[in-house]
Amino acid sequence: MNDNYFGSLFRRRIVFVIIVGFFAICSVQLFNMQILQQPTYSEKSDENSVKPIYQLAPRGIFYDRNHKVLVGNKPSFTLRITPSTYDKKLTPYLEAILGMSPGYIDRILKLNESYSKFIPRKIAKDVSFKVIAWYEENSSKLPGVDYVMETQRDYSFGVTGAHMFGYTKEIPLEVFQRRKGEYDIGDEIGFGGIEKTYEDYLRGEKGIKYMLVDAKQKTIGRYKAGEEDRATIKGDDLTLTIDKDAQEVAEEEFKDKRGAVVALDPSTGEVLAFLSSPQYNLEDFAKVTSNEVWRELNNNPDRPMFNRASMSTFAPGSTFKMISAIAGLEEGIIDTNFKVNCGGGYQFGDRYFKCLHVHGTVDVETSIEKSCNTFYYTLVNKLGLDTWSKYAKKFGFGTKTKIDIPEESSGIVPSTEYYNRVYGKNGWTKGFVISLGIGQGELNVTPLQLAQYAALFANYGKSARPHFLKSYMDTQTNKRYDVKPQYYDIGISRKSFDIVRRAMYLVVNGAGTATNIKLPDIAIAGKTGTAQNPHGKDHAIFVGFAPYNNPKIAIAVIVENAGFGSIAAAPIARDIIKAYLQKDKKEEPKDLAALPAVKEANIEH
Amino acid sequence: MNINYKLQDRFDLSIFLPVIGLIIFGLLAIYSSTVNHPTASGNFQKQVVFVIISLFVFFVTFSLPLQSFKKFAIALYAVSIFFLVAVLVIGKTVYGAKSWFGIGGFGFQPSELAKLGTILMLSYWLTYKSRDINNLKDIGVALLIGVFPVALIMLEPDMGTSIVFLVITVSLIFWSGISLFGLFVVLSPGIVTFASILGTYAFIVALLLVVAALFFFKKDLFNSTAVFIINLSAGFFFDYIYRVLKPHQQKRIASFLDPSADPLGAGYNALQAKVAIGSGGFWGKGFLHGNQTQLRFIPEQWTDFIYCVIGEEFGYIGSMIVILLFLIIFLRLFKLSATAKDRFSVLVTVGVLTLLFSHFALNIGMNVGVTPVIGLPLPFLSYGGSTQFINMVMIGIVLNIYRNRKLHT
Repeated sequence: MNDNYFGSLFRRRIVFVIIVGFFAICSVQLFNMQILQQPTYSEKSDENSVKPIYQLAPRGIFYDRNHKVLVGNKPSFTLRITPSTYDKKLTPYLEAILGMSPGYIDRILKLNESYSKFIPRKIAKDVSFKVIAWYEENSSKLPGVDYVMETQRDYSFGVTGAHMFGYTKEIPLEVFQRRKGEYDIGDEIGFGGIEKTYEDYLRGEKGIKYMLVDAKQKTIGRYKAGEEDRATIKGDDLTLTIDKDAQEVAEEEFKDKRGAVVALDPSTGEVLAFLSSPQYNLEDFAKVTSNEVWRELNNNPDRPMFNRASMSTFAPGSTFKMISAIAGLEEGIIDTNFKVNCGGGYQFGDRYFKCLHVHGTVDVETSIEKSCNTFYYTLVNKLGLDTWSKYAKKFGFGTKTKIDIPEESSGIVPSTEYYNRVYGKNGWTKGFVISLGIGQGELNVTPLQLAQYAALFANYGKSARPHFLKSYMDTQTNKRYDVKPQYYDIGISRKSFDIVRRAMYLVVNGAGTATNIKLPDIAIAGKTGTAQNPHGKDHAIFVGFAPYNNPKIAIAVIVENAGFGSIAAAPIARDIIKAYLQKDKKEEPKDLAALPAVKEANIEH
Repeated sequence: MNINYKLQDRFDLSIFLPVIGLIIFGLLAIYSSTVNHPTASGNFQKQVVFVIISLFVFFVTFSLPLQSFKKFAIALYAVSIFFLVAVLVIGKTVYGAKSWFGIGGFGFQPSELAKLGTILMLSYWLTYKSRDINNLKDIGVALLIGVFPVALIMLEPDMGTSIVFLVITVSLIFWSGISLFGLFVVLSPGIVTFASILGTYAFIVALLLVVAALFFFKKDLFNSTAVFIINLSAGFFFDYIYRVLKPHQQKRIASFLDPSADPLGAGYNALQAKVAIGSGGFWGKGFLHGNQTQLRFIPEQWTDFIYCVIGEEFGYIGSMIVILLFLIIFLRLFKLSATAKDRFSVLVTVGVLTLLFSHFALNIGMNVGVTPVIGLPLPFLSYGGSTQFINMVMIGIVLNIYRNRKLHT
């Protein structure tokens, strides 16, 4: 019989049998499951359902460059309420025992109303052991209340570092939905700073315990005696580039001041100290953050939540004079023989631009050493706006440094194009340009950019992208991965740098503006600045590096509303430099040497 | 009564009404499994919108001239392939598979469109004037049409959908009257390739079986050698491809071949699904009263495990009604395949039947525990816009074929 033709009867029959046959199998299987074995399945459903219990993984620890702990973990108790079984009459008792104001629990329950009533809500984190003891005694009278052991960030290691570390908090709904499948509701996620950038390294992997629970979710035992359970994997530990001693000194000095400090290793771009002051208390975020704390932080006129070190922008004042000096030398517009006579100011059109002193005959070296404005009014006028602007941009101003935390501003470097856009083609005059020569006007820079600028002087125009992460330890393989710095060279001649660096040396060690911070054993080079502030007293600024002959640290310090850079900012820079370099002499980094790196890792973020 | 007869003559209510019945069951089950869910509670409203849109599209498809589908075939297939490639490049990863485009708040799954495109294209190719189903070149092209999307979908990776495409391709070639030897030529390289993944030993055994079969068919030496070489090279070629792939792509293929690579994940869901259905009993626990469903023991229940909501809350009665409605649809399509007016219409009907049936069999089979855990939506019931939309377009096409079955051109 030949049935090799289109839609043959034999073939139709095969298809028919498959369809009806499968239907029959399903009917039989359903009959078997739902009628014959119904009691067994029912029992399973009612009593023996498997439920995964997730155990949060401890986050990776932050170490400083010498393997001292900066941020750790500690165990803590979290009290929870499951609305499906919770009795609202208990609220006043709970609030009293937790020391919360009345209405607190209601507010949290209302906030999470859209979630299933079977999901437990975290009511209070970091609950004292006394409260847990009380709960254990009375748990039978507290339906729907329970507690879990979690780990929580421990900030008790002597540094605050709020703005660089960032904090963790419960995952917001929109992030939860965006990163579908990766997180569960109630998980902690890094917010801001290093906690956010390196979230995927730090978070680790949750463990799962399979428990047998009854239909009312009461635990009645382990599923398969725990053999299917998955252990928690702690997050990767991060070794940061921060030097704890330098950071501590910075935080101590800024206790009652507003401002910022950024210190870098000039050859690698490693951040040695990073401070924005005032700070906020990271401990407050480790608990369920109360409304009062938020309100206080947001209404504080000093804006403690704002990361001044990489987000605040201001005119850098005299610290910017080296840009014009370098530009003039590189473009051949001036040389060491070029001199300007400072009679106390500079006449440009019908405006008179003032200098602080009458400096007499000034060459490029003296102009930096003594911070003569007249020299730079003259020089920037010779350079022209766009040449000046080109060199400012070469040194990284006007763009983000791409440091590895998400909070950063790019600042502004004016150019012809910029002024045309803001004021219109004929809306501005060359007078605008004159103030730029001394770092005033519409120029806006961040402390981080200034530190990078100092690093470029320290290391003759070669540096690497500023970064916080030195290495990380893969928890699973126990191998350490070093981060390779991203080097760059801005391409400016050593000859120009030699002239300007020499002048910066004289600022501190000659007859300059910061001789007050001269040290007998460390040669510091730098430049002071005073940034005019339209809203109040001037900001004091100092940028510098040390030691002069073999720089190990480059630094930028800004103290808000503190007046002269030499008096308010330079001594802070000196103390941080001292803390970093003198320790370098007395103790060698130890633990890291014992953990050889396996290979270099390129980290993208 | 007269009017009703006329309506039934133009519009097959015994397909349309069961489809509506299934959609209603689906909406009830989606509502029940998402109403208390923290993040999916809007899915019921979204599904209602999907249903309304797809009903509208159904009527449009139903009303088009039948000839137009033949004209759409090539273009639709080309567009499908383009989207399948594009989704690998710019798609978004959902549950480990890169199979979605995100457009605004909604997602679009190009493999759904490709199902329609492939059925139309294969039907078109296999019924084009002088096609000879036992000519090696014509079979080869038909296979390419069917297998090309499979290769792309394997890379996503989406095992269930790949299987559906293979089943459709083989069914249509089978229906077209391929000889037993032809069927052997079509199927054997796939089996050998699969064996080559299992190991060298399995690969050699498979090749020996091929040689034995070639003796059985008693074809001449040239043909036999050609088939053997095709088989041999299929095995080596796949091995070569596998080696040049990047590690993460190799991992994808491994997880495609062995979906139980995460044994606890898959086993856990299957166990909970069976408990849900079995505990439903004869009458079920009642709408919104299934504790397995309401306590969310089965993750994402409104997609691939929708059937166990019905099993738990509507019991044996509800479960049987659902599969009976499917059976009615399948038998009506089966009957239509004998009465459709031309071969193109017949093959399209068989294609739609195969598509719906393979989804049905793999999904229900997984839920009641008679087939492996392979993720596939249950047609008309599972939550999802792309699936609902394409399924209703296909029902529109077959009812269109029904409407035109007596017209001759």
